[in-house]
Parts: sequence; C-alpha cells; structure tokens
Amino acid sequence: MIKKSRKVRDYKELTRALPTQSYLDPEMVYIHLQNGRCKTYDLYVDEGDHVDFGEVIGVRHGGFFEQPIHATISGTIGKVGKKLHRTGRKVDCIEIKNDFKNTFHKNITDRPDHVIDKLTQDDMVEILKENALVGLGGSGFPSYIKLATKEKIDHVVVNAVECEPYLSSDYRLILDHPEDVIMGLKYVMQALDCNHGIIAIKSDKNPLYEVLTQVIERRYSDLNIEVVRLGNYYPQGWEIEVFKNALGIEVPHGELPMKYGVLGFNVSTTAGIYNAVKHNLPVVERYFTLTGDAINYPQNYRVRVGTSVQDLIRQSDGYKEEYDEVLVVMGGPMMGVSTVSDDVIVSKTTTSVIVLKNTEYKEEPCVRCGSCVYSCPAHLEPVQIMNAVKRNDKDQMRSLNADRCIECGLCAYVCTSKIHVTDYVRKAKRLIR
Amino acid sequence: MTTTMPKIIRKTSPYLRRPNANATRMMRDVTIALLPATAFAIYSFGISALWIILTSIASMLVTEYIFYQILDRLQGESLKLINKQFSLYNFSAFTSGLIYGLTLPDQTPLWVVALSGVLGILLAKLLFGGMGQNIFNPAAVARVLVVVNFATLATYQTNIDAVAGATALGMNNSNLFSQQVLDVYSLSNLFTGIGIPGSIGETSALLLLLGGGYLAVRTSFEVRIPLMYIGTVFVLALAVAIQQGLGLWYPLYHIFSGGLMFGAIYMATDPVTSPITKPARVYYGFALGALTFIIRLFGALPEGVIFSILIMNMFVTSFDYHKVTHPRFNRKRTLIFLSVIVLTIVVTLVGASYVG
Repeated sequence: MIKKSRKVRDYKELTRALPTQSYLDPEMVYIHLQNGRCKTYDLYVDEGDHVDFGEVIGVRHGGFFEQPIHATISGTIGKVGKKLHRTGRKVDCIEIKNDFKNTFHKNITDRPDHVIDKLTQDDMVEILKENALVGLGGSGFPSYIKLATKEKIDHVVVNAVECEPYLSSDYRLILDHPEDVIMGLKYVMQALDCNHGIIAIKSDKNPLYEVLTQVIERRYSDLNIEVVRLGNYYPQGWEIEVFKNALGIEVPHGELPMKYGVLGFNVSTTAGIYNAVKHNLPVVERYFTLTGDAINYPQNYRVRVGTSVQDLIRQSDGYKEEYDEVLVVMGGPMMGVSTVSDDVIVSKTTTSVIVLKNTEYKEEPCVRCGSCVYSCPAHLEPVQIMNAVKRNDKDQMRSLNADRCIECGLCAYVCTSKIHVTDYVRKAKRLIR
Repeated sequence: MTTTMPKIIRKTSPYLRRPNANATRMMRDVTIALLPATAFAIYSFGISALWIILTSIASMLVTEYIFYQILDRLQGESLKLINKQFSLYNFSAFTSGLIYGLTLPDQTPLWVVALSGVLGILLAKLLFGGMGQNIFNPAAVARVLVVVNFATLATYQTNIDAVAGATALGMNNSNLFSQQVLDVYSLSNLFTGIGIPGSIGETSALLLLLGGGYLAVRTSFEVRIPLMYIGTVFVLALAVAIQQGLGLWYPLYHIFSGGLMFGAIYMATDPVTSPITKPARVYYGFALGALTFIIRLFGALPEGVIFSILIMNMFVTSFDYHKVTHPRFNRKRTLIFLSVIVLTIVVTLVGASYVG
C-alpha cells in the first residue's frame, strides 16, 4: 500500500439526497458569549429582558476586532451558564427562552436593489461588521477584515468543495438556495471591484453543477461567474489547493492569498453575505449536518444558531442501540473535534456533528512504507516528524517544517500500520511553536 | 425517540482510517509474489531446495520466537505460549526467511542455512529492536554470512558441462566480454530459468517479474526502486557494450542473470531498509544499480547484488537526513542527479577500457 492515496470514502450518500429539515423553533437557544477567537465580552441585557429576533444583546472582544452578539430567536433572556465549546473548554453561554412570536427587530429590513447597487467597499465592510459575519466554514475569521483588503483582487472564489467525508450541509445549501450564493458572490465582487467570480465544487457533485450553471445562465449571465469542477479527493477543499487547481495560482506557505489577487469565501459565508447585505440579517441560522454511522436518522437541518445538539439528536431518533461507545465529533471526521459530551451547541461555525461508532485500530510498528509522505498535501514528511517527536529533537522538527502542517489528518488516514501520525505532528507543532 | 445513551469517547482527529491497509497484508503479498519462484525452485532443484527453504524459514521464525520469549522473561512477564511481539502474525520473519532461502545455492548444507539464518535475523533485526527498526535487510545479512563464512561449502550444482561451481555470472566474471557464455546459457534460458544453475530462487527472471507485477498491482512495494535498479544496470551495461563493440545481448545478459531481478524486486524494496521519500527512492535505486554493476565488472566477486544492497542500507539514514530530504523533485536536485548519472557512466566506461 505504498502509494499516494487521497481518496477518502465520503459517506455523503447518508444525507445528501434527503431534504433539509427546518428546526427553527427550539424551546431554548444558547448563545456562546466567548469563542476560540474572543475571550471577553460585554452583555447589554439582563435576565428577564425581552429581546427580538436579530437584536444585538452584547459584544465579543477579539484580539483585533469586536463582534456584536445577536439574539437568534425572540424571547426572554435567561441565565448565563457554562457550555462545552468546540475548543474543548467550557465557555459562557446565555440562554434565550423562545416566545414563539418570532418578532423581528426593527433593524432587519430589506435594502432595495438600487441602494445596494450604490454600496461601496466601505459600506459593505460596515454591514458585515454590524452583522458579525465570520468564516462559517469553521474558521470563524471575521469576514469584514477579509473584505476590507486594500490589495487589488482579480478573482473571488467561493469554496463549495466540502471535501470532508460525511458533510453535506454546503451541498444542501446550494441545492436549496443557489441564488443566495450567487448574489452573495455578486456583492463581494461589487465591493472589491472585481469581475471574475468562481464557484468551486467537487467534480462528483453533478447536481450542484447543473443547478448553479442553470441559475447563472438564466439570471446572471451578465456576471462573469464560472462554476469550476475540481478534483474528487481530500483535501481539495483546503483554500490553497482550491486556488491552485481552480486558477493555477500557488500561494506559498505563510502568505495571504490577497497578495496574489485571490480571495476565498466559504459557501455558507457567501450566503450569509447575501442575507446581511440584502436583508440586513445577521447570522441567525445555518445549515447543519447531523450524521454518522451511530445515529438513527442522519440528515441535514436548518437550525437557529444556538440550538442544542441534544435536541437535534432527539429529532434524528437518537443513537443507534447496537453501539455502546460512540464518538461525537464537531466538524468533519478528518479534522473535527471530538467532544466528551453531546451537551453542545450549534454555533455559527459548527458545520456538523458526526456520531461515529468507536473503532479501536490495532497499531503495528511503522514499516516506513512512505504512504504518509506521498499523500501529504503540504508536502511534509509526517513519519520523519513522528520520529523526531519520539526523539524530542526540535531542530529536526523545525527543519522538517512541522509548522506547515494543516492537520488534515491524511497521514493517519493512509497509514499502513494504523499509527496516529497526525497526533505526533500536532505535538511537534506545539513543541516548536 | 430512544432512551439509549451510549458512552461518549474522546479521541483526536482523524477518526477514519484507510480500509484494507495493513502491514501484514504488505508482507503477505511478498510471500504470495514469491510463490511461483519457490515452486520453480523446487521443480528445478528437487527436494533439496524444499529443505533449504523450510530450514531458512524455520531458523528465522524459531529465533524470533525464542528471542521474544527471553525478552519477556527478562521483563518479568509470565510464560505465555503466544507472544504478542512475535511477528509470525504479520509475516515479517516468514518473508525474510523465504527470501533468504531463495537466495541460497542449492548445495548449501542445511546446518549452514540454519546457522546463518539464526545469526542473520538476530544480528540484523532483533538486536536493532525488531520489525521496523532494522537498518540492514535480515535476509541479505544472512546470505552474506553464508558467502563470507561458508563460501566453499555453499556451491552450485552443475548440470551441464561447465566449470564446476560456476554460475552464468561467474563465467562472465572470469571472461569479461566474451560472447562464449551465450553458448552455454542462452538468453531465453536465462530469462525463463530453465537449465540454469544458480541460487535456487533467482534463476527465473520471468517468474520473478511476474511476482513483481503482482506486487505493483497490489501497491505492496515501491516500483521505482526495482525500475531504477534494473534500469541503471541495463544502461551501464549498454554503455559498456557500445564501447566494447558488443551486442544488445550483453546488457540483457546482465539483467537476466545472477540475483539482480530477485534482489531488485524483493530485497531492495523492503520498505524498512529503503529511504522514505519518492526522490530518495529513485536515487537509492540508481545507487544500487551503479554499485552492483561496478562490483560485477571490477570486483573479485561475480555477484554484487547482496553487497550493494547492504552497502546502500547503511546510507538510507543519509538519504533521509532532515537537512537534505525533500518529498518532491525539483529542478536543481534533478539536474544534480542527472549529472551524477552521466558521471557514473563516464567512470564505468573509463574503468571498462582498462579491464577490457
């Protein structure tokens, strides 16, 4: 099995054909007040206050930005409690009890098209900032900072590759709302004065190609938007890999793509930009995949941000009875974070929760087959980094560029001896930081 | 809605693993690939070949078993019949034993086979820390022990009127550029292995290539190493053939005779004792080929495969040294590599003009 192996079985057939179920009226939502990027916050409301849908209830303070917090349902503010976050820590969350009236906050009003047509880059940046738009693919990086770039952008790329196995929320989003994505892309192109847009999808997702090309042809043929079908392998969705294959632009490690005239957004982010600009709507709901081989009814949901995953698991008929031990993974099965409990919350950046049966893999000694070296998308030598970690040789970790690892998990996936190589490389990254 | 609540385990990503990939399968494939050659060895050399193969496998397996039992005893574990470190389960020692047995001359006394087998796996593999840790190929070490300690005992049978004990290459070594060898062993016989004396498993290039094809299809070995290895020997021999005015038979003769096919496909490709990156594996294959040809042409020994493999095993760590290793080819490295190839050809030709 000495070969470059980037095909990962994708298991998307579990969910992608099923209609998206809306679950927009939970009893209670829990809004994260802190997250991976923002450690402190201010709260503008007290327990017992009534809030409207979309109302600003506080602000998160990040290192170099501030981010308003929005109520995602209308109702009454409850207590501030601790909930498990994707980062593995318990963070402060505020409860909002649903009053099922769904009263909109006055700020949420549609912008007429003739107003939108006149919006400049600065206006758009301001809109995204007020609506707290972040990278919804999981990065959580504030989108307005990206949009405020002063570099000349030649290509805007919408990343709809979704190469992680199991996930199909972006897929459903495009099938259900192709126009949102295209309009969002249009607004970004308008803001950046760029006349080439690309929507990158995987080559095996033919329905997406049909939907997008038909919509573009009928309504947006004046825009220079291309739908590009990229390779069907993992990790094609890595931004650098998308730029390389869609445009032929190679962005070296450690440099920003803006410098090379490209800017990438996730599909959900693009749809979010459309909602923010057109409806002045913050990120209050998202597409969410609840899937895995240990859950009874895997499917996609359209949920409020702040919905409890336990509720959704109940909606999906609970865990399968035949497995005693399961993994609850937030994010994809290759890069996601495994949590110790299912008492977690769908945050803005949570694309999915995957419930997998626990499989113990039997590790054998490394036979130096080299599959990890052949497969590494960042062109590293994972096995050598692993040996350096075992020897605790930091010089060697540095000269093997362990810091360039993107933790895609491919080295452990392909390992002939089932060794958890990714863990060693992660450790090396920590050691030389 | 159900009430079952499974236990939630915490792990780190990724949570999936490649199906159908394991080290055992890789080792087992080598054994399967060697089956035709083994069967042919028994067919052409009779029951003595079977005994040699069985002795070699048994010597390595028993040594490993006893070694790990003693190690466990030293670590204060209780006596268990099945030892978890014993690598019969992953075919590693079995494969080494089979490869070692197939490289032996058919007249080797069984006690020599057993003794060298024991020493080979003990010195080359077990003392280094077992599977995956060895620097030298255990089969090659065992074979070299036979060559250097028991050279007079391990001889080749001769079934045709030729110099006693001479393999095809041995004749070639004493009479460097003479086409006479072809009168004794024709190229087609060398290719199929019919009527060729030699090490029991190395005679039939055809069956060895068949096994190599199987391994390549199963991706159980790195195909670049044998391709570079055999290709290098072919190119160097071709260069010499052109210089000496010999025909195409000369390079073909070199790649079909001796242990080249066997060593290139089954010994040089042992992943544990070869470099880890694609370019380094190409360089490694080239270095093996160049060394083998130089030993064959200028050395005292007729056969250079085993020695070149052991010599290059020593340099694997240099190929993988963290300051020089690189997982991809680039223009500068390729240029350097190409100039090394040209230089090797020139050196070989200069040398050949002296010995010729």
